[in-house]
Amino acid sequence: MDEGVIVRRSIIVFLVIVLGLVVILLSRRASETPEQRTVVVYVSEDQVFSEPILRDFERESGIKVKAVYDTEEAKSTGSMNRLIAEKDNPQADVYWANEPIRAEVLKQKGIAEAYRSGNAQGIPPVFKDPEGYWTGFSARARVLIVRRGIADPPTSILAFNDPRWKGKAVISNPLFGTTTSHVAALFVAWGDERARRFMEDMKENEVGISTSNGESADFVASGRYAFSLVDSDDAVNRMRQGEAVDMIHPDQQEGGSGCFIVPNAVVLIHGAPHPETARQLIDHLLSEETERKLALADCAQIPLHPGVPAPPELKAIADLKVLRVDYAEVARKMVEIQAYLKEWVGL
Amino acid sequence: MSRRAFFALIVVLLVVIFLLPVLSMLYRSLRIDGRFTLASYQGLMRSSRQWSLMGHSLLLASIVTLATTSVGVPLGIILGRSDLPLRRSFTALFVIPLLIPPYIIAVSWLDLVGTAGPIAHIFGEASSRSAMALLFGLPGCAWVLFSVFLPVPLLLTLVFLRTVHPRLEEAGRLAAGWGRVLKGVTLPLIAPGILLAAVVVFLLSFGEFSVPNFLRYGVFPVETFTRFSAFYDFEAATAAAVPLAAVTFLVLLVEAVFLRERTYQLHPSPEAERHSTIRLGRWRAVATAAVGALALVVVVVPLVVLLVQAGGADAYLEALQRAGGSLIRSLLYGAAGASLLAVLGFLTGHLIETRAVRGWRMVDSLTVFTFALPSTVIGIGLISLWNNPWTNFVYATPWIILLGYVAKYTALTSRISVTQLAQIPPSMEEAAQVAGAGWGRRMVFITVPLARRSLLAAWLVGYIFSVRDTGITMLVYPAGHETLPVRIFTLMANGTPRLIAALCVLMIAATLLPLAAASMLPSVRASKVLR
Repeated sequence: MDEGVIVRRSIIVFLVIVLGLVVILLSRRASETPEQRTVVVYVSEDQVFSEPILRDFERESGIKVKAVYDTEEAKSTGSMNRLIAEKDNPQADVYWANEPIRAEVLKQKGIAEAYRSGNAQGIPPVFKDPEGYWTGFSARARVLIVRRGIADPPTSILAFNDPRWKGKAVISNPLFGTTTSHVAALFVAWGDERARRFMEDMKENEVGISTSNGESADFVASGRYAFSLVDSDDAVNRMRQGEAVDMIHPDQQEGGSGCFIVPNAVVLIHGAPHPETARQLIDHLLSEETERKLALADCAQIPLHPGVPAPPELKAIADLKVLRVDYAEVARKMVEIQAYLKEWVGL
Repeated sequence: MSRRAFFALIVVLLVVIFLLPVLSMLYRSLRIDGRFTLASYQGLMRSSRQWSLMGHSLLLASIVTLATTSVGVPLGIILGRSDLPLRRSFTALFVIPLLIPPYIIAVSWLDLVGTAGPIAHIFGEASSRSAMALLFGLPGCAWVLFSVFLPVPLLLTLVFLRTVHPRLEEAGRLAAGWGRVLKGVTLPLIAPGILLAAVVVFLLSFGEFSVPNFLRYGVFPVETFTRFSAFYDFEAATAAAVPLAAVTFLVLLVEAVFLRERTYQLHPSPEAERHSTIRLGRWRAVATAAVGALALVVVVVPLVVLLVQAGGADAYLEALQRAGGSLIRSLLYGAAGASLLAVLGFLTGHLIETRAVRGWRMVDSLTVFTFALPSTVIGIGLISLWNNPWTNFVYATPWIILLGYVAKYTALTSRISVTQLAQIPPSMEEAAQVAGAGWGRRMVFITVPLARRSLLAAWLVGYIFSVRDTGITMLVYPAGHETLPVRIFTLMANGTPRLIAALCVLMIAATLLPLAAASMLPSVRASKVLR
C-alpha cells in the first residue's frame, strides 16, 4: 500500500481515537450516578502531608475523594480564594484550611455551614468556632528557629526589636500565610498601639524580609541570619535534615505573652454538592487517629486531642503557654490591618 | 451549509473561545460593588511597585531576547548550513528544553547549585551560596529562559534558511567568502525570520510565570497571579493584567505591520536541498567543541542532574504511585487538546489562507493575541466567563482546561496549517471544482490529504504545549482533574527533591512520547514533520 495512504489512515484513526477519548472524558461527569459516593475537598495543607490522610479515608470509607491542592506560590490561599469565587456556584464540599483564620473568613462571607462533629468533643473550645462553622485540629506552633551556637539565643519575639539583633533577624512577608495571622493576633492581644510600635521597631532594627517561612528557615540554617519566627514544621524539618539550628517556643517565661498556635481547620461548605460524604470526611479529619498520623509525619503537628502524643521535638499542647486570642477577632483584624501591612512592606 | 456560513460559524466559535473570556474579565474589572469605576486602574497607576515590576518584566524579556537571538541565529546557520558533524542530533538536543515545562529546568539548576547539590559537594558551601544568589533573581531567570527559548531562533533560522534560493548565495560566493555572503546575502534574506524569532521570544519571556515565580524574581505575570490567587483581588488582578495585554498588543502590532505577510508567504525554496555547504575546515573541531559545550551546559547538565537526583527505580515507583493518575490525565488531556488544536488550527489556517470570510485578519490577530497573553490572564478570563451554575458543563469538567489550551495555542497550529496550505497549488481544488465537487468534498478529499503532514505536525506541537502547560491549568482545573505539571507544583511544598526530580523526568518522558512515536512512523520522521 502507498505510504501516503498509510499515513493518512493512521492520522484519521488516531484523531478518531483521541476525539473518542474526549467524549469519554467529558461524559464521565454526566455518568456519575447518585450512588457513586464522592466528596470534593479543597486543601491548603501541603499536599505531601494531606494526601495520605485523604487516601486513608478513601480506603476506609469507599468514598472517592477529589481534591484541589494549593501551591506554595499561591501562599496557601489559592483554594480559599477559589471557594470565594465559587460562592454562588459551589463545587467543593469541604475545605481543609491550614489555619483557622481562613476558615473564619469563609464563615464571615457566608460560605461555611455549621457542623459539630462528634469526633471534636475532646478538642479544647479555644480551637473551635463556638457556632460550629469550623473546627480546629492538629496544630503548628509559631516558634523561633535559631542558628545553633549563637550566644544567649532569643527566647521571645521581642528579640526582633533588641538592638543586639539589629540586621540579624529575618521574618517572612507579613502579607502572606501564618505570619499575617500572627501579626493580626498580636494586634488583638496587645492592642493596635503596642502592635504597631512593635512592627515599626522591628523595621527600625533592620529585620530581613523573606518570601516564605521556609525561606526564613533556610536563611537561618545557612547562617545568613541568626534567628527567625517560623512555623514549627519548618523548624522541625530543618532539624531533621541535620541543619545546625535549634527551635525555641517563644515567650514561655513568667509574664510572657505565650506561643501563637495555628491549628488546621475544617469547614463544611454551604450548598455543598455532597453534604453527607462531606460530614463523613470532616469526622475522619477530626479523629484522634488523623492527629496521631499528622504528629508522626514530617509536618510534626501538635495534636489537640488530649492523650495523643506530640512529636518528640515539640511540647504537648497542655504543656505550652499559649497566646490566648479569639480567632474570629484575629480574622477581622487581619482584614483591617491589610493596608497597614502593605505600607509596612513598602507596596 | 455553504462555505461562507461554515466559516462564519467558526469565527463565532473562535470569538467565544478567544474574545469573551478577555472581555468578561475586563467588564468585571470595571465593576466594583455593582458600580462602574476605574478605581482598580487608578490604584495600579499610583503604585510605584507596579512600574518597577513592569521594568523587571521588560528587562528580563529584553535580556532573554537578545541572548537567544545572538546565540540562536549563528547556531542555526552552523547547524543548517555547515559541515559540522552530528548536526541533526545537536538540533534535536537543543530543542528538548522547549518541549518541557520551563520550571523543570529551574528545578534542575536548583538541584545542581543547592546546598545539597554537586556544586556544594565539589566546591564547598560558599560556592553553592554564591551560585544560589545568582540563580534566585534576574541572572537565574534569564539563564533558565535562555535555555528554554534558544530553540525558537534556532528553529526559525533553520526554517528561513530553506527559503533562501541557493543561486543567490552561489552568485555571492563567486566574488566573496562565506563571511561576506552570510552578511550581505543570507542574513538580510532571513531577517524577517530573525525578527519573528525575537518577537516570539520577547512575548514568551514577557508572559512567563512559572520560572520567575519559582526563582523569586518579581515580574508582572507573577503579580497578576498573586493578586488573584493570594488576595483574590479580582479587579486588581485584572487591572494588573491589562498592561501585560497592552505591551503584548503593541509588540504584535509591530509583528503585524512588518512580518505577517512575509510569514504567510513562507515557501521553501524549490532547490533548498542543494544548498552549498559552509566548509568549516580547520575550525570544524573548534566549532564542534563549542556547540557540544553549549549543548552540554544548556541541555545535558540539567537533564543529567534530574536523573541523578531521582536516583533508582524506587523514586519512580513512588512518583507513579503518588502521581500516576495525574500522568494519565496529562496524556489524555494533552491528546484531547492536541486533537482540538489540530482541527481548529487547520480550520483557522484554512480561513486565513483562503480569506474565506471578511474577518479573517481579525481571527488571525485574535489567535496570536491570546497566544501572547500570559497564561494567568487567560485563566482568570476563563474563570470569569464560565464560573456560573448554568455553565458547569464547562467549568466543572475538563472542558475548561481544554478551552484554555485552545485559547492559548491555536495560533501555533493555525500558523503551521497556513504554511502548508500555502504550498498546495490552487489548481488542485479548481480542477475538482470544475468536476462538480462542492467545497466540503474538496476539503475532505483534496485539502486535508494534501495537508496531512501539517495536521500531524500541528497535533504534535499542540500536544507538547498542552502537556507542558502549567499557568492555565493550575488556575482552572476542576477537583480531581489536576495534570502532572500542576501535581509537581503542588508537591513542591515540602516534597522530597528525589520525588520532584523523578516526577520531572516522568514529565519529560510524557512530553517526548508522541515525538518518539512519530519518529518511528516509516514515512513521517519527526524531522520531516517539524520541518
